[in-house]
Amino acid sequence: MTSPALRYLTRICAPQRRRLKLGSGLAVLAEALWLPQAAVLAMVLGGMASGQDPDLWMSAGAIAILGVARSGLIFLASRQFEQGADAVLAATRAQILARAQQYAPGPEVPSSAQTAVLMVEKTSLIRAHLLRWPAARARVAVIPVLILAVIFPVSWPVALILMISGPLIPVFMALIGMAAKDASARQMEEISGLNSLLVDRLGALIDIRLLRADKQMKNDFQIRADRLRQQTMQVLRVAFLSSAVLELFAALGVAMTAVYVGFTLLGELRFGSWGRVLTASEGIWLLLLAPVFFQPLRDMAAAWHDRVAAQAAADELLMDEERSLTRIPGQGADADRMAGAISVRGLRLRGISYPDLDIAPGEMLAITGPSGSGKTTFLMALAGILPSDGALKVGDVIVDDKTADGWRQSVALITQHVHFLDLPLRENLTLAPSIDDDRLAQALTLADADEIVNQLPQGLDTVLGERGGGVSGGEARRLIVARTAYWNRPYVMADEPTADLDDMTAQRVIRGLLDLNAQGAGLIVATHDPRLIRVIERRIDLAA
Amino acid sequence: MTPLWQIFRLIWRDRRASMSRAVLLTIWVMVAGIALLSLSGWFIVAAGMAGLAGTGAVFDVFRPSAGIRFLAMARTAGRYGERLLSHDATLKVLTSLRVRLLVGMSRENHAMLLRLRSGKALNRLTADIDALDGVAIRVVFPVLGAAFAALATFAGLWFLVGPLVSVWAVGSHVFGGALVLFWGGWAGAHLSERAEDLSQDLRAGVIDHLRGRLTLISAGRLRDNMAVLGRIDAAARAAMMKQAGIEWRVAAGLQLVALSSLVGTILISGRLLSDGHIGAAQAALAIFAALALAELGGAIQRGVFELGRMRAAARRVAPGLSGAPLDPQIVGNEDGLAMPGSELTGLALTGLDLCPAPGTGTIVENFNLVVSAGETVALIGASGSGKTSLLNAIAGLIPVSRGQISTGGRLGYLPQRPALMAGTIRDALHLAAPDSDDRDKALIMAVCAFPVDLDYRLGESGSGLSGGEQRRLALARVLIQRPAILLLDEPTEGLDHATAESVLHGVRAWLPDAAILIAAHRPAERQAADRVISL
Repeated sequence: MTSPALRYLTRICAPQRRRLKLGSGLAVLAEALWLPQAAVLAMVLGGMASGQDPDLWMSAGAIAILGVARSGLIFLASRQFEQGADAVLAATRAQILARAQQYAPGPEVPSSAQTAVLMVEKTSLIRAHLLRWPAARARVAVIPVLILAVIFPVSWPVALILMISGPLIPVFMALIGMAAKDASARQMEEISGLNSLLVDRLGALIDIRLLRADKQMKNDFQIRADRLRQQTMQVLRVAFLSSAVLELFAALGVAMTAVYVGFTLLGELRFGSWGRVLTASEGIWLLLLAPVFFQPLRDMAAAWHDRVAAQAAADELLMDEERSLTRIPGQGADADRMAGAISVRGLRLRGISYPDLDIAPGEMLAITGPSGSGKTTFLMALAGILPSDGALKVGDVIVDDKTADGWRQSVALITQHVHFLDLPLRENLTLAPSIDDDRLAQALTLADADEIVNQLPQGLDTVLGERGGGVSGGEARRLIVARTAYWNRPYVMADEPTADLDDMTAQRVIRGLLDLNAQGAGLIVATHDPRLIRVIERRIDLAA
Repeated sequence: MTPLWQIFRLIWRDRRASMSRAVLLTIWVMVAGIALLSLSGWFIVAAGMAGLAGTGAVFDVFRPSAGIRFLAMARTAGRYGERLLSHDATLKVLTSLRVRLLVGMSRENHAMLLRLRSGKALNRLTADIDALDGVAIRVVFPVLGAAFAALATFAGLWFLVGPLVSVWAVGSHVFGGALVLFWGGWAGAHLSERAEDLSQDLRAGVIDHLRGRLTLISAGRLRDNMAVLGRIDAAARAAMMKQAGIEWRVAAGLQLVALSSLVGTILISGRLLSDGHIGAAQAALAIFAALALAELGGAIQRGVFELGRMRAAARRVAPGLSGAPLDPQIVGNEDGLAMPGSELTGLALTGLDLCPAPGTGTIVENFNLVVSAGETVALIGASGSGKTSLLNAIAGLIPVSRGQISTGGRLGYLPQRPALMAGTIRDALHLAAPDSDDRDKALIMAVCAFPVDLDYRLGESGSGLSGGEQRRLALARVLIQRPAILLLDEPTEGLDHATAESVLHGVRAWLPDAAILIAAHRPAERQAADRVISL
């Protein structure tokens, strides 16, 4: 009966169940205090109506004390919910990030924006749900029944009116809730889609301008943004309609109660009070309780939409959890380096078999082959980025989930696409907890990159664009080579390291890489550049 | 004028009709709510008195009970209408603000765009705009509505019950409520701003983290950077928790204000009753009105907490909105990026001086070059000699310090690092040439020596293609527009020699009459040129 999304919500909230229960209990108690408070208020008003002189100070004091107690209980309940929701939020966010950062690159990997939205915004929907729903549900379970129980001995027709109009509300809510769920799911999907679309478009604004596609982009975006608006409006329309229906039922219930009580007090109706005459105080008390009978139901209806939104978010989280993509082995943490020869036996990745291979420490190897023959994939497997299923051994150790971190610490990887993190250049060039400035200077010299840094207005403090905006493509590549030199690891693996360099700079970079090799580092490159292939002793050619 | 007010005025001006109707309905809903409860209380007490006095038969039950029913229905209808109108109008305005902001961003200068980080820009377009949805609905309207409702209640109680009761019941609510809400706004604004800032940092940080995860993993810093993000998350949640603490205090404060107003009204009207100044039904009316007034503070509460977040969002968004019309119709320069020359075919540069960024030295001085239609010219020179800057200047991305650039016909430019986007190959080509059909698209891919299924789907930033494949797709995007002048910055980077030759050959065959200028670094590119110019 329960949907996978609900089971998921229950599962992630399980560690906080006690907190949420305690909060619910406090919220119920706070609302129940309205019964005596309303009774005192009714006695005062009834006393006034019948011309007696009620003890104003006593009554006012009782109302005040009960009121303060209610506020205090609500305050305490809110705190329980907030703390519980916060803990759930923290755990869920950490899980999402831990999963996403481990995906090996590929077209089926969800976009970074999609993950960011899931992690930051959509989990907040679950938080909002936890702040309201458990309390509303607990109150619905207790308060209406309690009110019926105390009203029935005083006036059965009022109890009957409430009993009939009350349960109609959940029926309506269930009907509307089904419509709301679809609308919510569509809205969620549109939000992800729009964010993914935008994050790519924003990264490509220059290209879009050069292609004179700005108008096209604007139109696309306008259509998508408008669709999101319509879908949001659809969700809201259902929400507004359901709360209007509820309000209507509540209003009708209260109005019928008022009319019955009014006529009884006037003496027109003479049934319902078990043979007694209904006093003015009792009548007023009934009138004060009637709206409170409906209030938990209305609150639950309001929280229902948080619940629907949370369910839609939970569906996505569940999907994210169940996504089976190639994982990068290991943790991505710092670990002790591994040394030794590399051996590859029977490596098969994405449907392509790769040749068996032994690489001695300090050796040089060029992986060549026509475009699309899998040079990059092979290099990524050697570097411990793609799982190799036991096919890759370093020394006597198989590179697997446990040992991959250590292996990657022994490899300085130069990827084809440069990404600069949102950090000053100094940190991007070292990516280490502590920075040795002298070594960094040497590394920059080796990569022929000193003058690049000197040209930057803020030098090593410059924050470059994510794709190296601020320096040319060749310069960005040389900066990454400088980082490799700084890292000084047993192996250097580079994917097309000379691709954007002119002859002179390419020669200098090649010399730099060879220098690293001369110092003992093994050098493995995937390349088709004859300038580079020429100077590498060993070559392995991948067929198309 | 503060940015937030500016945003509100934009919303109001753009959707004046819906917004003014919505504000009237807001006021009506609040007034009707108070009237409903007061009338019900009065009715019951008056009925009770009539029953006791034995005058029930002559008591007019129909008009008050009809009034109660009318108020109940009309309030419900009013609330529904108000919500629908105000939300629909707000969302419409926000959608056009979003589009306008994106257009503004795409018009930024080249240097700004190079440094743009997608995560942060995304925050502007989504989170900041979303934050503004409550400006009218949760701040301005409830405050206006509450003010009017308080005024109406004040007048009603003054005439129906008496000045003293009116002053206390309404006055205590207004002053007490204002005090609590101002305190909440004062104490909570910077917290909600901080929580939002940190959430945005988290979002941008997560995007950066995921986009750069290979770099982080090979540095062995993935876990550490995740811990940094964890700390941002913890700080964001701590700010939210602190803000929640203030929200509970404000809620409790408003309840206490309502409570003291109620208690005071009971005492005052009880005294007036026993002194014979008012009747019991009037006292009931006052007490119920005091009870109902509590709703007003509750309505404003939420907006107050969001105020800090809204203010910060408005501050960031408003500068991007100034100037441009709300619904820009024409974006970009239809004629291309450079000035079309008169009868010129091809490209002519005369006496050109270039400095890549203001304040840096001139890297190209008094440069002259003519590339005729059908001619291919290769530019060579070491990194930093200005090849890319020259092409950027011709494409109009950076200004020239001196000299003139004349171009005849449409210009196409393959930059050094083209950016691809998620989607199919077809989508990528469609962006460049919306009128092309599948046959054109398949043909251009063949020209670029990359015969791929048009349905092949690329991941984020074109992932899923190798460097050489990305380059060829980017080239295809340019070629399909059939430019008369083609600028290519290292077009065969990432291609093996045979493919490079075939691509360059294909380009010339596809555009026999184009003037082609190549920033070259590879032999194949030089060999394809009629002339080689050294910078």
